[in-house]
Amino acid sequence: MGQRQTSLLVMIWAAFFTMTMLGGFVSAQNVMIEEPISNWETPRTPWGDPDIGGIWRYEATIPLERPDHLQNRAFLTDEEVAAITLVEEELAMARLSGLDGVDVGKATLEESPIRYNEYNSFWQDHGRPRQVYRQTSLILDPSDGKLPYTDDAREAARRSTERYGVGPYESYLDPDTGERCLTDGAAIMMWQGPNGGHNRIVQSPGYVTIVHEEYQDRRIIPVDGQPHHGVKQWLGDSVGRWENDVLIVETNNFLDKTNYEWANIWSRASDTLRLIERFERVGPQSIEYTLTVEDPKTFTRPWTAVIPILKLPDSTHIFEYACHEGNYALSNMLSAGRVEATKN
Amino acid sequence: MHSSDIGKALTVFALLSMNSPVLLGQSTEYIAPRTEYGHPNLNGVWQALNTANYDLQGHEARPAMALLPIPPSSASPGTDRATPGALPAEELRALGAVGGVPAGQGVVVGNEIPYQPWAAARQIENAENWLMRDPEIKCFLPGVPRATYMPYPFQIIQGASQILIAYEFAGATRTIHMEDVGSSPSPTWMGWSVGSWEGDTLVVDVTGFNGQTWFDRSGNFHSEALHVVERYTPISPDHLMYEATIEDANVFTEPWQIRMPLYRRIEPDKQLLEYECVEFVEQLMYGELGLNNPATGQQNE
Repeated sequence: MGQRQTSLLVMIWAAFFTMTMLGGFVSAQNVMIEEPISNWETPRTPWGDPDIGGIWRYEATIPLERPDHLQNRAFLTDEEVAAITLVEEELAMARLSGLDGVDVGKATLEESPIRYNEYNSFWQDHGRPRQVYRQTSLILDPSDGKLPYTDDAREAARRSTERYGVGPYESYLDPDTGERCLTDGAAIMMWQGPNGGHNRIVQSPGYVTIVHEEYQDRRIIPVDGQPHHGVKQWLGDSVGRWENDVLIVETNNFLDKTNYEWANIWSRASDTLRLIERFERVGPQSIEYTLTVEDPKTFTRPWTAVIPILKLPDSTHIFEYACHEGNYALSNMLSAGRVEATKN
Repeated sequence: MHSSDIGKALTVFALLSMNSPVLLGQSTEYIAPRTEYGHPNLNGVWQALNTANYDLQGHEARPAMALLPIPPSSASPGTDRATPGALPAEELRALGAVGGVPAGQGVVVGNEIPYQPWAAARQIENAENWLMRDPEIKCFLPGVPRATYMPYPFQIIQGASQILIAYEFAGATRTIHMEDVGSSPSPTWMGWSVGSWEGDTLVVDVTGFNGQTWFDRSGNFHSEALHVVERYTPISPDHLMYEATIEDANVFTEPWQIRMPLYRRIEPDKQLLEYECVEFVEQLMYGELGLNNPATGQQNE
């Protein structure tokens, strides 16, 4: 597993350098990870584990899947990078100046972190432009940068997209798991969460704990050799270990919740799901997070994404995300659904 | 555990039962083992074992949290046929003994909660409307100190510079800020927690509450002005003494205190699990609001 990730990265680096030579790219900031720092040593906790504590967030523009119009292209051109950078700067300015919702995003950025950016934009305001990378997809394996859906799962994903924001909403089972304030799934926790994508990682002897702002998703991962507890859960049953300063987390025992609606079919909880995650602190501000997802119910083969996660200042807070407590949207959607039905 | 530790713990319990004004954690000579970073090591999975979540105050056993009103009787006892005592409300009757309320000696120091008169009336009204009003029933975040003594474990995750308290109920997590972070930018369910060490005691000052959480199933409540000071003191390798001073000038006439031991869950490889209760209350909260009712598969009226 670790071997394969390394080789993927080497391929990316090799491809980048090849393109650098051919295309005359000038900047090193557009590679996957922070510019290598000479003599970088992973910081340690007082008890000797590698230190990955702090507040972390994925803030780059790389989409999970490679967009269709970039087929067969692992990297953007200089011109494309410049264009996206400009859009990101304009978006950040627009948000800072108080524009909201569709005024900010819909017309200008198709690759908005949530579809068409139709939500109030304060949810997604990074307060700064997102980082623009040359890489065209987070998914590096398969090499086409696409989710290897089964036919059924592809159909489920199509249906999920089609009904998003449209419904019907005839019972509390019709909104997706996120709209029900449950979770959007373990596979997105480290790098997604348009309404609160920050993660606080706190290490204590024997544990790495990750608290995700959105839905208050939380994983307390033993790293001291404890076995899997064997109880099925929404976020599964995680066991971690340190290998050469890299945290490897294997998660199984997910509940089967494929009967529910999911905003992203690829992150749904299923009893055949297995995640392997790799957290490598590659610089003072960066974790290279590698996510491998296996689930024969949803995918024809495992897929792997390599995701640059950014460290935010220690003064950054994770705030309370009391989603269910204030989920007036759910009862409003249901009463609207009843009104709709009487009109027909 | 060493027998001397047990002895000290027993001493502490003896003091507890006398309602000693001395803060119990400080009255023991137990010295907690240190973490690699110098503080007493509070790491672990802990749980309260008492009936405080039913009622902070001393209370007798009864058949259910919600009861039918007892009809008035003018007859002299024994001169007429027997009459019913407390009966469970209809919604709870099928639970039988499972729905009963165990008796408890209470965790309030002095057993009295110093309500202002209007607030004392509100607490009674809350208790009478428990099924409708208790936020626990709706899987809402339980607030502080209630999260501590609900019948679910919680884990203290004590890092070198951060402390988290992770509760099983509703997946609530508190960050205990160990540095000055100012005041809460917004009212919250679980409060805004700032910690410091006083000797071996972790002191957590909690403000920034909304007025929507309760202290127990008996309708004991507070306002947005709630200020809680919690004290976590190791009293043996497997016990913490938990004390909380509760202050709310809108609701109480003076600050008051609760106090209880917390027990380490000593099972090997004990892990905190999920209790994702949102899913468990959707039918209750939304089942009859939509066009269709998932429980019946039929349209709602």
